[in-house]
This record gives sequence, structure tokens and C-alpha cells, in this order.
Amino acid sequence: MTRTTTTTMTATWKRIRTAALAVIALVSWSGAALAQQFEKVENLPRQEVPAGRFVAIAYGIIWLAVLAYIVIVAAGIKRVNQEIADLKRKVDRHGPKA
Amino acid sequence: MRSLGAGFWIALLLAAAGFLVVPSLIASAPVEPVMGFVQKIFYFHVPCAIMLFLSTFVCAGGSIAFLFKGSERGDRLAVAAAELSVLFGVCVLTSGPLWGRKAWGVWWQWDARLTSSLLLFLMMVGYLIARRYGGPAGRKLSAALALFAAINVPLVYKSVDIWRTVHPQTTVVPKLDPRMRPAFWSAFVLMTLVWALLLTIRVRLERARTELAALRLDADELAEERQ
Repeated sequence: MTRTTTTTMTATWKRIRTAALAVIALVSWSGAALAQQFEKVENLPRQEVPAGRFVAIAYGIIWLAVLAYIVIVAAGIKRVNQEIADLKRKVDRHGPKA
Repeated sequence: MRSLGAGFWIALLLAAAGFLVVPSLIASAPVEPVMGFVQKIFYFHVPCAIMLFLSTFVCAGGSIAFLFKGSERGDRLAVAAAELSVLFGVCVLTSGPLWGRKAWGVWWQWDARLTSSLLLFLMMVGYLIARRYGGPAGRKLSAALALFAAINVPLVYKSVDIWRTVHPQTTVVPKLDPRMRPAFWSAFVLMTLVWALLLTIRVRLERARTELAALRLDADELAEERQ
């Protein structure tokens, strides 16, 4: 009976000790966070992002991409048409003799 | 190859007129007070995004026709639209970061709108890769991929309303300053015309390729007969 009571007490104390340690850790963490203060930084170089250049680059990329696509497709149409014409000529020349 | 229809030439003339009018409308539109001059990217960034969505839907429509009805015409339309998805995806994903760098201070944020847009773009790139290197099943594989990409489109659009993102919400266009509307809508019409013209010539190229393939088959048969 006495041994059981002692064991239970030990377990309870262990739990209390763990909880207390956790509370201390949390409180000290918060204290450290609260102790921190923002430090004003002065004389930092101001970063200027050139809006006009960005707008020009964006518009340039869009229209260049569209133009490049038109050129690629037009070249493809030209090449395929040329091949069709060549093939038709070949078929007509070497076609079955009627 | 059949000649280009009257609609093509009318659209081309309108697009040419648009190229003369739209820049002056954008220049005369008021500068947005918060973001400043960089907000002018909006006038082409948003129409490009809409064209990306539209191309993906057209690609999915063509793919459905090909998958379930075996429509070659649908397949030609799908591949043309897939290429336009990639093209307009490039436009959106390059103009957006340029705007973001000035407005947010960073080129890229892994937020819902940007990430889902990138995924949509990659899915359409995947469509073209599967089609090109997928072998005999490539066309069907890519068509199935197009359906998933189309499902992703509403998610990309609504992502800014569902999740908290740095990207402006879908209410931007409806709540646009009335003085900015002529510039935006004229840019949108111009972009739609350009899209329609590009789709027309790309479908034409695909049709010519089909014609060439049929002719090659005929030529091969003829050569065999002669031997």
C-alpha cells in the first residue's frame, strides 16, 4: 500500500515538474520576445524600381512573343505548302501512265 | 490549301486599327494612385490571362471532340489552342512578375493564384510534350491532359477569392475606374482579335500538314505500284 502511494506520488511530481518546466520555458520565450525592440535603421539606400522600364519590358515581351509565333507559323505554312507543291509535281510527273 | 476567308482579313484590319488606337488610350488612362505607372501592365496582363483561359477551354473542347467522336478537326483545333495557351501563358508569367516586382517588391510569391497559373501553364506545356513525344498514343494522352487543364482554369480564376493571396481579387475588373475602362476593353478586344487570327493561321498550318501527310501516303502507294 505504502509503496503504491509512493510510486503514484513520484509520477505526479514528475508530471508537475515537467509542466512547470514547460511553463518556465514558454514564459522565458515570451519574455525574450517582448524584450526585443525594433531598431530604427537610418540612411538606408532607397531602392528605386523603374516603373517605366518594367512597363516597356512587359509590353515588349508580349508583342515580341506574339510576333515570333506569327513568324514561326508563317514559316511552317510556307514550308508545308512548298512540300505539297513539290510532291504534287512529283506525283504528276511520275504518275501511272494512263 | 484553301484561301483565307473575308473574316480573317476583317479581323486583321481591325487588329491593325487597334494597334494604332489602344496605345494612345492606355497612355491617356489615369495613373493608378497606389501602384503608380507600373499598373499600366494591367491593360495587357489581364487580357493575356483571359486568352490563356480561353485557349485552354478551346483546347479541351477540341480534345473532347477528338476523344469521344474521333474528330480530326477537333484535334487540329486542340493543338492550335494548346500552343496559344503556352504563348499567352508566357506573356502572363513574364508580365506578372514585372508588375509584382514593383508593386510587391518581389518577382514571385508562391501564393495560390501565381502557383495555380504556373501549374496551368506547365500542364499545357505537358500537352505539347506528350503530343510530340508520346508516340502513337500521344494524341490521346495529350487530349486527356487538356481536360484536366480545363478543370484547373476555374480554380486559377477563383483562387484569389478562396485563399488569401497577394494577387488582386476578381473584383478588380468590375470595379475598375470608369476612366480606365476604354483602355482596358479596347486592349481586351485587340487581344481577342490577335488570338482569333493566331488560332486561324495555326489551324491552317495543321490542316496543311494533314494534307501533306495524305499526299505522302499517295506518293508512297504510287511508288509501290510502279515497282
